[in-house]
Amino acid sequence: MGSNKKDEVKIPAISIKRISKSFASNVVLREINLHVFEGDVVALIGGNGAGKSTLMKILMGIYQPDAGEIFMSGKRVSLSSPSAALAQGIYLVPQEPMLFPNMTVEENIVLGFKEKRSQLHERLKALIENLGWDLKLDRKAESLSIAEQQLVEILRGLLRNSRILILDEPTSALTFHEIESLFRIVTDLHKNGISIFYITHRLTEVFDIATRVVILRDGQITMEGAVEEFNQEMLIQGLLPANYESAVKKERECTDVECSGVKPLLDIKNFSGYGFSDINLEVYPGEILGMAGVVGSGRTEFAVTVFGKDIVKSGKVFLGGEDITGKKCSCIIEKGLNYVPEDRHLNGIYSISDVEANITSGVLGNLNKFFVDRKKVNELTDQYINNFRIKVTGRDQAIGSLSGGNQQKVVLGKTLAANPKVVILDEPTRGIDAGARGDVYRIINELRAQGVAILLISSDIEEVVELSDRVVTMYQGRINHTFKGESITVDNLMAASFGVYKKEVTA
Amino acid sequence: MNKLIERITQTREVFTVVFMFVLFLGTGIVNPGFLAPDNILLCLNGSVIYILLAIGISFVITTGDIDVSIGATLGLTAAVCATMIRDGSSLLAASATALLIGAIIGLINGLGVTKLRIPAIIMTLGVNGVVRGSIYVYTEGKWVENLPAAFKRYGQITLAGFVNLFLLVTVLIVIGVYLYIKKANKGKYLAAIGDNMCGATLIGIPVDRTRILAFILCGIFAAFAGIIFASKIGFVTPTAGNGYEMKAIAACVLGGVSLTGGVGSVIGAMFGAIIMSSISRILVFLQFSSNWDNTITGILLIIIVVADALIQKHLKEKARRERLAARDLFVAEKTCEEVGGVFQ
Repeated sequence: MGSNKKDEVKIPAISIKRISKSFASNVVLREINLHVFEGDVVALIGGNGAGKSTLMKILMGIYQPDAGEIFMSGKRVSLSSPSAALAQGIYLVPQEPMLFPNMTVEENIVLGFKEKRSQLHERLKALIENLGWDLKLDRKAESLSIAEQQLVEILRGLLRNSRILILDEPTSALTFHEIESLFRIVTDLHKNGISIFYITHRLTEVFDIATRVVILRDGQITMEGAVEEFNQEMLIQGLLPANYESAVKKERECTDVECSGVKPLLDIKNFSGYGFSDINLEVYPGEILGMAGVVGSGRTEFAVTVFGKDIVKSGKVFLGGEDITGKKCSCIIEKGLNYVPEDRHLNGIYSISDVEANITSGVLGNLNKFFVDRKKVNELTDQYINNFRIKVTGRDQAIGSLSGGNQQKVVLGKTLAANPKVVILDEPTRGIDAGARGDVYRIINELRAQGVAILLISSDIEEVVELSDRVVTMYQGRINHTFKGESITVDNLMAASFGVYKKEVTA
Repeated sequence: MNKLIERITQTREVFTVVFMFVLFLGTGIVNPGFLAPDNILLCLNGSVIYILLAIGISFVITTGDIDVSIGATLGLTAAVCATMIRDGSSLLAASATALLIGAIIGLINGLGVTKLRIPAIIMTLGVNGVVRGSIYVYTEGKWVENLPAAFKRYGQITLAGFVNLFLLVTVLIVIGVYLYIKKANKGKYLAAIGDNMCGATLIGIPVDRTRILAFILCGIFAAFAGIIFASKIGFVTPTAGNGYEMKAIAACVLGGVSLTGGVGSVIGAMFGAIIMSSISRILVFLQFSSNWDNTITGILLIIIVVADALIQKHLKEKARRERLAARDLFVAEKTCEEVGGVFQ
């Protein structure tokens, strides 16, 4: 595409200048500068929490930047609300299409316009014909497949004469053929001079459709350029943590548990459910098995299904040799498996109760004859507060008033008070500060020393590398690689999580 | 089975009309007197107040909120309107005052729910208490009686010998609102907000403003019902309209307006209101005590809401599974070239 040499001549369709954004004390974007020209397809890549979505939400007028300016075709614009952004010709196609399920396709597309319905109908028909798409306008939106819903979202943007389309992980829920047709559409739009931001976790796609690549990490652009200048290794490099050096793999004593004849505590065979398929893994006593993968790779669906919260399609879960497939949560906890959920606010804590009530809530059944045994409750609470260094004013402090790190320690305490044999930790350090992170790591390592089998699910690859004895990577609902010992490196795990790991030729 | 569920969710109004016919015919089989034209007309005329309340609250329910203050709003506006007319005001001035009061109560509800982010049920429950209390203050706990005969006669005006004026006006309003929602660009805003609030924000719909508007309309319709109440009944007690909100909500739900928002039409709400207001009459014709009226309304409300919630949950879960399954299919198709290639 020869239209790429224009930097001096043309004015960018959209210029982002020194945009910064923080939420409370958490800096999400630091002085982002980005220029996008007509017809550019910009692949926006970055790990979880890199700031991609925040940047796009600022463009869409959902968030306001703390500092910085946005120019469109050279003119400064104020994107103070979604309707302001729409008026400027920006349209965001969200990852989960935001349709109105109870309305028809046409109603979904023309809603929010000021023109006459009949005019809109004619324009819409012409547009669809022009694109050569096959989409019945009188169908109810809830009957559409995800791919069709995405077409509707794109049509919404095009009918508004949007010049800038933002596609947020558009392929994450599409089948192979649907992706092919989506790529054709993107290519069409590119030819028509529409600028596209394309957010993706799939690095292979970048080379299929992007014209430019922008890599975000920790709220900063680490690499940027025409797609021809990149290869997959470079993309991985751009995603790696800032002060990361390739050879830092800490020494660890050889714990080749697999060969020592010990039976695995958690044994999962050909396990399939909604969002993941054919999972095989074993976790041995005193071992931390890391599970890496990007958001949406099916890790959490897998974990909650093992824990009995969703339907098992096929396969078996054995806990210490006993079949626990499809049992109820309460039964699974009793048998010695516990799960620390990903979102502690949603699932982990009783936010208006005090620390004591939270820690002991999981074991009340064992502490009582009929009335709660106060002494035992107090002892147990003190034990966890001291061991985990939970910073509280007393056993009776409300958990909602603790910091994120201390909340997470309470959640861990609650889980461990049940004396589990196997623990599944889902993102145990998300959103907590460095000090508390160290404490959580210490707790996890102590558990391991006590012989608990731990399955550590995390998108923080450094964390997985630091803690795990073995690692499996999950990619699009399947385990695509297993790593042991020295092969557990940030490079390898990152590549495997993004589905581009190639086994080195071992000499 | 799934097909059947989808069919029912898509043709909710039809379901309501069929239910109404079955109910009326069933009662008519037990007691043929029920199907006499006069009686049917009485049923329809008696439903006017409920229809107006149900239309008003259907706006709010469609956006996914709720308003339980409409019974009290009806009571206050009826009392104010009746007092003013008794004291010699013109019908126009009294009606305008009543409608304005309704609009203000709606505005307060709307501001509390959108700007102060108070859950709609709590906000309107509080307002319900305030408004009900202010009726007692306003009337000093006395009935408003001795209304001029001319005012009470509006309820008896009929056209072509049998069509009641109020009923005619109400049906015209229903048709007008229905057509506006169906045809106008902004008509679908309410449903869009109830269907997917984030999505509505994203395409530039003024979400807060529209929700406030729904509450205001709801208040105005309750006030309109209050004026008709005063004219039809001929006197206003401090408890006027007490419990009407449950009937109006039940009417909406029975008419296919989903409590989760986004689904339903005023036509459905109208038929629901006709059924709800006829229940006490049906009970009499079936020789039950009409004391069962509220109990049956409550039971119907719960049954329909539970059934609706189960259907919604089923559909949601199905969509989630389809999405996850699509992801799985993607891998299956790509396995050979991508994952396989990596292993070589």
